[in-house]
Amino acid sequence: MNWELMKDILLVTVPLLVIFPTMFALTTWVERKALARIQNRIGPNKVGVPMSRYGGKLSLFGLGQPAADGIKMLFKENIVPAKADRLFHLLAPILSLIPAMLVLCFLPLNFPWLTDEQNSVKAFMLDGAVIFFFAITGLNTLAVFMAGWASRNKYSLLGGMRAIAQMVSYEIPLVLSAVVVVMTAGSLNAGEIAKSQDGWNWFVFTPWGLAAFVIFFIASLAETNRSPFDLPEAESEIVAGYFTEYSGFKFALFFLGEYIAMFAISGLAVTLFMGAGDGPGVETYPSLKVIWFLAKICFLIGIMIWLRGTLPRLRVDQLMGFAWKFLMPLSILNIFITGFAWHAQNNNEESSFTIKAIIWIASLLILYLTAKGLDKINRSKIKPRTYQYGE
Amino acid sequence: MSLLGAGILKGMAVTLKNFIGSYFDKERLNTLEYIWQTDKSLPKRAGDYPKEEGEQLRPTTTVTNYSRNFPMLLHDDGEPMDTIRCVACQICERECPPQCIYIEKSGDKKERPGSKPQFYPATFDIDVSVCMSCQICVEVCPFDAIVMNSQFELSTPDRFNGLLLKRGDLLKSNQYYHKIHPEEAASRDKRIADDKAAKEAKKKAAEAAKEAKKKAAEAKAKSEAEANSKEESKDTSDTSQVFTQPNKEEGTE
Repeated sequence: MNWELMKDILLVTVPLLVIFPTMFALTTWVERKALARIQNRIGPNKVGVPMSRYGGKLSLFGLGQPAADGIKMLFKENIVPAKADRLFHLLAPILSLIPAMLVLCFLPLNFPWLTDEQNSVKAFMLDGAVIFFFAITGLNTLAVFMAGWASRNKYSLLGGMRAIAQMVSYEIPLVLSAVVVVMTAGSLNAGEIAKSQDGWNWFVFTPWGLAAFVIFFIASLAETNRSPFDLPEAESEIVAGYFTEYSGFKFALFFLGEYIAMFAISGLAVTLFMGAGDGPGVETYPSLKVIWFLAKICFLIGIMIWLRGTLPRLRVDQLMGFAWKFLMPLSILNIFITGFAWHAQNNNEESSFTIKAIIWIASLLILYLTAKGLDKINRSKIKPRTYQYGE
Repeated sequence: MSLLGAGILKGMAVTLKNFIGSYFDKERLNTLEYIWQTDKSLPKRAGDYPKEEGEQLRPTTTVTNYSRNFPMLLHDDGEPMDTIRCVACQICERECPPQCIYIEKSGDKKERPGSKPQFYPATFDIDVSVCMSCQICVEVCPFDAIVMNSQFELSTPDRFNGLLLKRGDLLKSNQYYHKIHPEEAASRDKRIADDKAAKEAKKKAAEAAKEAKKKAAEAKAKSEAEANSKEESKDTSDTSQVFTQPNKEEGTE
């Protein structure tokens, strides 16, 4: 047994297991608060530190809510339907959490307590980290369908089937929009992609990078079943989709897995497009890198919450149409634009400002007009809905 | 040509306005804390209130006037079963979406003040574990017999029988209704009174019409008799004329 290696691995992984579940707990609270405020409500503000002995309690804006939720989840009865497949019913939530946790290791988080040598425990800094990331997150689809299938419930099965259709479809624009970054950085290694963006050379500050980031973000919303793409768990249509038959700790695991997947995919977006740990003051204080990385993840999560409070859920046909007829052609076009832009920029060293301006205007114009055209074509096929039996 | 995605941005601006506005503008908040708490010395938690006989809640102190939880049956002043408004017509039972109401009609009719003898519910059960508080039973009831209660402390160790509210649990007086939903009860009472007055007026009008009809019939009979006597004197073979004549007379009246 190589104890040195074990120690190094633990130094990398244990912080992840502390930071992200903590962030999950806080995010559930922030999400409930933010959604409440968006709807002009107050949100959870009661649970705090009980101090009845000293008269009253410390409510702390309801910050005790995650703890209370967790305790409740832990002590709830674990109900398994009589006809359910018990083994897979148990495995599904675990399988949904594992890949989400696993891919966190591939994020280029440079913890300050790691020496350069340990940093190369980059058992996790694979050369194919980006590919590995997508491969592992793809497992989540399996977990969701497993849950739907094992529950022996029509709603759950419908939810699982919706999830498969949705996640498989949106994986394509997700990967295609990440391709442009890999092309430009010339590496699949997350650490090297991060390094190539140092000094405010973030890919989101390029026209094609911006477009790819938007596509990536939309696809990642669908990939993590977030609103407005939360069809697999649509409460109003199919009760709660694949969650229907889950209660207690298994449900909590699903919940945790979903949020960790959100952090992971936001982390990947930050790595690919938003310069990973790059930010003001990192040259003088390298340990700020971790803070910036987490702050950027929180920023993206904030936007996800904001969108959830704003947009209504899509219909199934709209969802599939959006992936295949809109996002996919755009992301393929974006790859070509990236190639041309990169070529133009690298072959014309002189007067780089004009070249840059032309690239910006031309590529954004092409992308926008294509998007507009696709939108028009897609919309022309939408007819008023006709009902056969109902009114 | 509208900008692509402009609608989403517009929506996001609206929600952002709400998000920020709710911190600064108290008017925006549509839920107010402890609105019922007129006296600050009263406890904030509903469970801290002393319970009264027959009613689990102190009226109007722990919930707002706009709280509606599960249905209850109304009776007027007097013995509950003598003045129950429900006539076991079973409309609510049929309309109830989750089918949580179970009614058994009585075999006999019961005298009640101010109306003819009516049926009454021999059994009236509401399973509140099934009830979804939709108020449809209240909407469809033609007798104003079922209305929403605001009682919420229904927790019980027995999840089957404990949550099945029987007729006795559901029967509440009209005064209690006035206590928990003053505005609604007042408007409902007014409507019932108006309906009653309208009915009375109609009845009177109908009586007057009857009277008039009677008179008309008498007059008709008279004229008919006269006509008959006249016709008798003639040689009558055409009967149709005889029948059409009185009709014409009625029309002119």
